[in-house]
Amino acid sequence: MSEKNTSPGGGHFLLSVKEFFQRDLVQYIIKRLLMFIPTLFLISVLIFIVIQLPETDYVDREISKLASEGEYVSQVEADALRAEYGLDLPLHERYIKWVTGILWTSSDSSYYRLYGSHHDWKYSFAYGKNVLSVINDRLPLTILVSALILIFQYGVSLPIAVYASTHQYSIGDYISSFFGFLGAAIPNFILAFMLMYLSYKWTGNANVGLDLSGFFPFLKSMIIPFLVIGTSGTCGIIRSVRAQMLDEVGRQYTLTARAKGVPEHKIIMKYCFRAAINPTVSGLGGVLSTMFSGSTVTAMVLMIDIQGPELLKALQTGDVYLAGGIVMIQAILVVIGILLSDIALAFLDPRIRYSGGGR
Amino acid sequence: MKKLTALLLALTLLLTSTAFAAETSATYSEAPSITAAGTYGKVEDRLPTAEDIFVSTQDATGGDLAIGTYGGTINLVGGGGSWDLSRPMLETIIRRSTDGSYYPNVIKSYEYSDDYTVWTFHLREGMKWSDGDDFNADDITFWYYMCHLSNFDTKKSWTALIDKETENYAKLTKVDDYTVTWTFDTAKYPADFIENGDFKWCWAPSHWLGDLIPSSIYVENEYWPDTGLTDEQVLANALAKGIDKATIKDLGKAAAYNCWNIGGLPTLNSFVLRAGETNSSSVCHLDRNVYYWKVDGAGQQLPYCDGIVYTKTSEDGQDQLMFRSGEVDILTVNMSDIASILSDMGDAAYLRTFSSTDWGAVPVTFNYTHKDSNYATLFNNINFRHAISIAVDRTELSQLLFDGFLEPGQSAPQLGNFGYDEEWIHQWTEYDPETAKSLLAECGLVMGSDGFYDFADGSDFLLTFYGYLDSGAVDQYPILEKYYNAVGIKTAWKEYEMAAYDIEIDNNDWTAVIQPHTNIGGLSMSDRPAPFVPIIQSAEWYGDFGTWYGTKGANGVEPTGDMAKLLEIYEKWASTPSTEEREAYNLEVYEIHKANQWTIAYLQSEGNYNLVTSSLKNYPEDLVWADLYMYANIVHYETLYKAE
Repeated sequence: MSEKNTSPGGGHFLLSVKEFFQRDLVQYIIKRLLMFIPTLFLISVLIFIVIQLPETDYVDREISKLASEGEYVSQVEADALRAEYGLDLPLHERYIKWVTGILWTSSDSSYYRLYGSHHDWKYSFAYGKNVLSVINDRLPLTILVSALILIFQYGVSLPIAVYASTHQYSIGDYISSFFGFLGAAIPNFILAFMLMYLSYKWTGNANVGLDLSGFFPFLKSMIIPFLVIGTSGTCGIIRSVRAQMLDEVGRQYTLTARAKGVPEHKIIMKYCFRAAINPTVSGLGGVLSTMFSGSTVTAMVLMIDIQGPELLKALQTGDVYLAGGIVMIQAILVVIGILLSDIALAFLDPRIRYSGGGR
Repeated sequence: MKKLTALLLALTLLLTSTAFAAETSATYSEAPSITAAGTYGKVEDRLPTAEDIFVSTQDATGGDLAIGTYGGTINLVGGGGSWDLSRPMLETIIRRSTDGSYYPNVIKSYEYSDDYTVWTFHLREGMKWSDGDDFNADDITFWYYMCHLSNFDTKKSWTALIDKETENYAKLTKVDDYTVTWTFDTAKYPADFIENGDFKWCWAPSHWLGDLIPSSIYVENEYWPDTGLTDEQVLANALAKGIDKATIKDLGKAAAYNCWNIGGLPTLNSFVLRAGETNSSSVCHLDRNVYYWKVDGAGQQLPYCDGIVYTKTSEDGQDQLMFRSGEVDILTVNMSDIASILSDMGDAAYLRTFSSTDWGAVPVTFNYTHKDSNYATLFNNINFRHAISIAVDRTELSQLLFDGFLEPGQSAPQLGNFGYDEEWIHQWTEYDPETAKSLLAECGLVMGSDGFYDFADGSDFLLTFYGYLDSGAVDQYPILEKYYNAVGIKTAWKEYEMAAYDIEIDNNDWTAVIQPHTNIGGLSMSDRPAPFVPIIQSAEWYGDFGTWYGTKGANGVEPTGDMAKLLEIYEKWASTPSTEEREAYNLEVYEIHKANQWTIAYLQSEGNYNLVTSSLKNYPEDLVWADLYMYANIVHYETLYKAE
């Protein structure tokens, strides 16, 4: 009996997947993957030029920093350092070395023997070590924090949006709209300061930084980041999904479904909601990149040691390969993310087509 | 006679150092956490031999230390520069007291030949590295020949080990396991050797660094053979030890110079960075060195606290929040924040003040080697500097910038510092815009139709001030501009990121600065002479004059007059073994500064302030914030203990 009941459902799903891939999607994906090459090439050129625009380089900044600490570096030593770091080469030579190293580093290179990788992302001047090692140091925490915040954002905002749209102009709708606008209007760093102040006033602890001594202390120290980063994102999602839902709820197909006696929750969740989250899903393209970098300004205010502040520091100190590496990986993730979100959109909405001509 | 000499020597040591030889019959104790670990053996076996143990009974001001109790951690917070971690733990060849005296610290004692050509260091027998390996003369020869002369540590340019006359490096000889000698071609006076601020250490753990020295930099010597290792093998060995460095230069500087920043690397310091961490970790854990070689007056092995936790902040103000929350034990604060924090915290915190060695606050100086002769001539006219000084209402300036906390003053040694001069600190400090205008006219400036002075040849006189981000100059300029404009000086402002600012200065492409990057000031010339005399490309107030001396005349501008006289006195100062003579030369230099006032400061210096949680004991009062004392290192963190 149960087999009979589940079979049509499971069959339907498999049918959807099959139909999904039978369309011109594969061809589309291949086309998009090929487009990756010129896109990433242009991005890499742009990144490399922009991060080297400041008139001072890492050596200049390092010398100034050392002078502040009472350590003086002569011009001869500075020139030697510049040569050591390859900063004496022309920009285009540095770019070619950087990109070719990332694309392929041969097995007989010193880098491969030391790090066992064919992709040499060069090294961070500030840390004096492999760029990927520096990135990896912060990656687990960055992904954990970002993922938790994303789950919080979507977990909170989608139900509220559905509620607000199905109870338009109710008290609940007004309250969610009020906090939505408020959250969107207050810059994150100001909200962070306010919450830190309130936390200090009420508990005697401002909750600065993350407590990694255990799971519960960690969650406790994540309350303010949740509220700050989560709230701002939540507001955007609520407003957008609510507006889309209201649009969908008033459409002909909804009325038809209602007239045919389809249960209301099915109309809302299966049809309206599925259509309404299209813009949200298309916005997921940036999620991978966000997961990788985290929220920079808020992380700095709250002293959370994730990738975003590291990128800012690298840019400020002229640590070009670290900054370039982080931005390049982000760019790759954005490109992949957009592709994935497009595929997800296609799965959600069969009306979406990838190549010319209607069916 | 020998007995008398010995007695006198013992008396001298007693008076000039805090290190007293312990009674050989003394018993020693250790922290309960070490006993509980049960893996380190008896404390006596980890300490040097009884007569070579360093017994800490006094702080850097000469005050008696209380006998402390074990346990707890000291929680610190800061920005995390490469030197920051060194402050609470670094042990050096000698240690200084705030009265200017110093005493052997890591080394047991030192002596020198009558002609100052041979210096002998005696080490502490039985002393150990933080991993339990013996510390002996081999670690000195290893450092000198394998790390320093090979330039592995990137500091081969240190002058302390170079003969001033012949420019040859000293010859280091191992006499026995606990004695080494440094031999120079000509006299090497204390000021340029044992007292040289750069010469902080001369050892490296040969047992640990042995496989990190590449053959490519090997320097022939009688103690250590060539390792035969390629650069790549060395980097691979470093990776295996958890040190990820891309070049030998990075590795060398990290492992043989800023060695406190590498977790797991054996040191002689009171606390050691936990294995796997580096100074770039967001939170650094420094654990007690269980082989530390100092004890307190009761024979308890130091340090008292089990460790230090150093948290890096990313924004201003986070440290204050953490201090108020009780997460941090010591907080460096501005004067203006002290009252509010203390009133909020009540008895939970106390204040410790460090005398500042800065020569005043809100300093401005000018380019005396300006490429435009109009500007160079004007700036070199003392009337101009006098006018600039009295054109500003210092009381109002203090109100506007520091809530009135800072007293009016001049760029001069501040109260409590060597060379303090009551007259000098108030020189040209009265507010007198009318006299300022007449002094400017005496300089040959001509009032233009726009109400601002022009040069006599009719060209515009525009006083462009340069400043760098985060120096505070950006807040000071608008107020100074108002005063300068009022006496007829047209001004402009250019702000740079610090490195770009330094390039403008080094290229001699500047006119005037507020908050120079290297300002005149410091403990004395013994601290570092470069801020006081034009010997390198460093301080703004002498600009290209310093470049001239630093490059032996190859670049820069040859100084004349009083600027040249500074160099003459400096050379005499550097060439005398006599402390009295050096102080006299130092005062001569100060007199020249007083007469010229190349830098103008408008207020007296702010000082440095630390708020300390009341549970932390033995934090001395009346300390001095100076490079020579390695700033917070003078607190002697190993003697701090926690008690309710």
